[in-house]
Amino acid sequence: MAGDVTIEWGHTFRLHVLDVGLACCAVEFAAAAARGADMAAVGARPVVARPREANVMVISGTVTDKLAVQVKRLYDELPADGFVLSFGSCSNSGGPYWDSYSVTKGVDQMIPVDVYVPGCPPRPEALLGGLALLNERIGP
Amino acid sequence: MTTDLAGTADVDADRWLAVATELRDGGCDFFDWLSAYDDADAGLAVVARVWSVADRRGAMIRTRVSRDAGVLPTLTALWAGAGWHERETAEMFGIRFAGHPDLRPLLLPAGFEGHPLRKEFVLASRVAKEWPGAKEPGESVAGRKRPPGVPPPGAWGP
Repeated sequence: MAGDVTIEWGHTFRLHVLDVGLACCAVEFAAAAARGADMAAVGARPVVARPREANVMVISGTVTDKLAVQVKRLYDELPADGFVLSFGSCSNSGGPYWDSYSVTKGVDQMIPVDVYVPGCPPRPEALLGGLALLNERIGP
Repeated sequence: MTTDLAGTADVDADRWLAVATELRDGGCDFFDWLSAYDDADAGLAVVARVWSVADRRGAMIRTRVSRDAGVLPTLTALWAGAGWHERETAEMFGIRFAGHPDLRPLLLPAGFEGHPLRKEFVLASRVAKEWPGAKEPGESVAGRKRPPGVPPPGAWGP
């Protein structure tokens, strides 16, 4: 039925992705987001203008203890059924800065993470892979 | 005042402001940067570089202050641009800049203890965890000497 098709079409764009771009991984996010068709293929849409439209946060880059407060604030503004994708070594674990005095050793020390994408930096395709995994996990 | 091969002039701490004033009056109108490094037993070395835009020439000056109560006069009266550099150097090395209008920490979060760019600053992660960068899983790091920033066993922490 035509109605079902319309609903399904709406469902395919259910990941509204906010990039919390903190370091060089944000460039890889931008490379992925620049091709809207690729994002759409994994059911995602980058949110640019209004962070509160988002239901997925991508932490791309190095979280420092000083900036962690702001990351937490963004997380608190996500809807309750939102998701967090940690993109790259730094936000996964501290990465190359694992022993630094200023870098948070993984954003998951502060907020729950649903999908980790490894790499330093990961390729744009890896972000799409992570989003596809998230989409799959959410289910139909 | 002596000058080394790289053109850095060593000045006594009590001549710091006077030498800087001479440079400013001599045409160095642009404050490039100021920072410091831990020179172990010789104390903390503070280095500043200034530049003359019109003449296209610069000067680098260096002085040493004690580790315990290092204090230097601020250069902010000569170059307003020295303000942030001095704030950063103050929090990273524990050097006070007398007369600075606002010496609050610039980069470190509130409540941070210690001065992280000093050699004696303990890197807690290195104490708690082996270096995770071994090429192969299980690769031995036994016998490796203590990494910088880690005190001898039992000297620090619970």
